[in-house]
Amino acid sequence: MHVVVLIKQVLDPEIPARAFRVDRLLQVPNVDRAPYVMSVFDGNALEVALKLREAKGGDVKITAVSLGPKGAEEMLRKALALTADAAVLINAEANSMDSMGKAKLLAAAIRTLDAVDLILAGRQAADWEAGQVGVMVAEELGLPCVPFVSRINPDGGSLKLRRELDDGYQTIRLPGPAVLTITNDETNVLRSAKVKDVMMAARKPLTTLSPADLGFSGEAAADPAIETLDLTVPEPRKRAEMIEGENLQAGARALARRLLELGAL
Amino acid sequence: MTNVLVAALVGNGAVSGAVLDLLGGAADLAAQTGGQVTVAALGPGAARCASALISHGADLVLTCEEDALATHPGEAGALALVAASQATGATVILFPADTSGRDWAPRLAYRLGAGLVTDVTGWAEADGRLVWSRLVFGGKAEAKMASRRPVTIATVKPGAAKARRPDPERTGEARDLGLTITPDPAWPQVLETAVEQSSGPKLEEAKVIVSGGRGLGGPENFRYLAQLGAVLGAAVGASRAAVDEGWVPATWQIGQTGKAVAPDLYIAVGISGASQHLVGCSRSKVIVAINTDPDAPIFEHARLGLVGDYKEVLPTLTEALKEMLQK
Ligand SMILES: Cc1cc2nc3c(=O)[nH]c(=O)nc-3n(C[C@H](O)[C@H](O)[C@H](O)COP(=O)(O)OP(=O)(O)OC[C@H]3O[C@@H](n4cnc5c(N)ncnc54)[C@H](O)[C@@H]3O)c2cc1C
Repeated sequence: MHVVVLIKQVLDPEIPARAFRVDRLLQVPNVDRAPYVMSVFDGNALEVALKLREAKGGDVKITAVSLGPKGAEEMLRKALALTADAAVLINAEANSMDSMGKAKLLAAAIRTLDAVDLILAGRQAADWEAGQVGVMVAEELGLPCVPFVSRINPDGGSLKLRRELDDGYQTIRLPGPAVLTITNDETNVLRSAKVKDVMMAARKPLTTLSPADLGFSGEAAADPAIETLDLTVPEPRKRAEMIEGENLQAGARALARRLLELGAL
Repeated sequence: MTNVLVAALVGNGAVSGAVLDLLGGAADLAAQTGGQVTVAALGPGAARCASALISHGADLVLTCEEDALATHPGEAGALALVAASQATGATVILFPADTSGRDWAPRLAYRLGAGLVTDVTGWAEADGRLVWSRLVFGGKAEAKMASRRPVTIATVKPGAAKARRPDPERTGEARDLGLTITPDPAWPQVLETAVEQSSGPKLEEAKVIVSGGRGLGGPENFRYLAQLGAVLGAAVGASRAAVDEGWVPATWQIGQTGKAVAPDLYIAVGISGASQHLVGCSRSKVIVAINTDPDAPIFEHARLGLVGDYKEVLPTLTEALKEMLQK
């Protein structure tokens, strides 16, 4: 079985709000010495692929595919250290592309790979948070799609999925190839790489492709469906009124009184 | 003239408050331009919602009750939505930003070549275009976006629009799309749907929410929240960290990628206040934070704060509120 995991490198989403600035002219974040990391739900997707391989007794090839700048190679090496078998970087400036443009490039790269059975993507990227690319890759490849999957279990010849709902979950039978978008639960927190696997990762194949290699010229970015008109950071708020007391019990009672005064109950 | 289509999954003939809110927003948008509002109500039992939808502002209700919408919701829904879009010529198509809306909207955008803006928190007309607001970078920034395509699709967060007061005199048309959907053997099939039962109020509807994070230290400690919650008639929520630890179900998660709630009172216990969490609770009237770290970002967003170990604070707070509320 061949599983492709789509992963994106993003500005570290844990940067605290008070350190976050934007360049309003360029409409991009402007954070000093910003660390870049694997987008969190893409990490969940990679973990789901690793768990599936374990459940199937090892017979699963995992290819990590990313669209982004040269710097994303570092993140792909991390995916290889987490025991993905191969990695592909479509090296392009993706910021100006719309979701459809990104989906078309990713789908084109997937078409160059050996028969792919399953494609996993994070439910949304931790930067622009659009949540569109995974589903659109399915459309572009003409495959069925199940969004918001948290777990995959082998079930005879097919797969059983757990899909998270707003008020519960569904069990879904997956008869064949599909694209799944992955959401978090306690079973798919991304593991850490083992030291020996980090060393092995350097020798695994990491292919870099350009859009031109995939038959695209500049048009992918030329006519985006959506344009950003403005990007701003909201005004900082006022600090909370801090409740104090001789000890925590007194503080708790003062808090209770203040809640009633405010009419919050 | 803007014709607006609202797309909604309907279970057993019941329309959710989120869909009625969205319909209110759609009706205002269409009214400004003399356009029509259509609701595509999808799912077994959809026809029974027609009168409620018309009284809340729909001019036309297009229904599809094919079983495939329940057994193969993603693939079947996309077919029905393409048909509904073509039948109405809508140039603005709105979905609630829930699991089905977020599933269907990108499929429909792809098939119609439409511009798609997801998780919008509001919209306004400027220079003859619709400008959509949405939070990005985990709620640390807000983007204003506009579509460059003739058809625009948006998924809309709770709170962005408000339902109209129902007018039972209002007239409108309801008809079936006349679509037969035969599932393809390659489509994923729903075997079972498990809906979580909770004894208290639902998070989306609760007036008071007590929410716990990684600071609770373990699943058993959610009982402190449950005890306070019982006194206040509150629902219990959680941060993503508590979900990822496996302490509580994923449906309890509040935030950017969990539920967006708007209670009168939100008590955050052992939650640091990451922007991705705050996005989900920022519409609360009063936020109270209890945290051992005086520098936790949650104190920059809360109305009231108390620095301390929740294990010492919550039992006294619970007792004190119980006494005061009895009086
Ligand atoms: C794309 C993306 C989407 C996300 N979506 C969400 C989302 O929807 N919802 C969400 O919540 N998060 C979300 N996150 C995660 C978010 O960034 C934070 O990691 C998460 O909210 C942290 O949870 P926490 O506050 O419980 O844990 P921590 O940040 O670890 O905070 C624990 C807090 O508990 C306090 N504490 C410890 N002991 C005690 C004690 N005894 N008494 C009182 N206080 C104590 C500590 O001081 C600390 O402030 C998302 C992240 C990404 C990247």
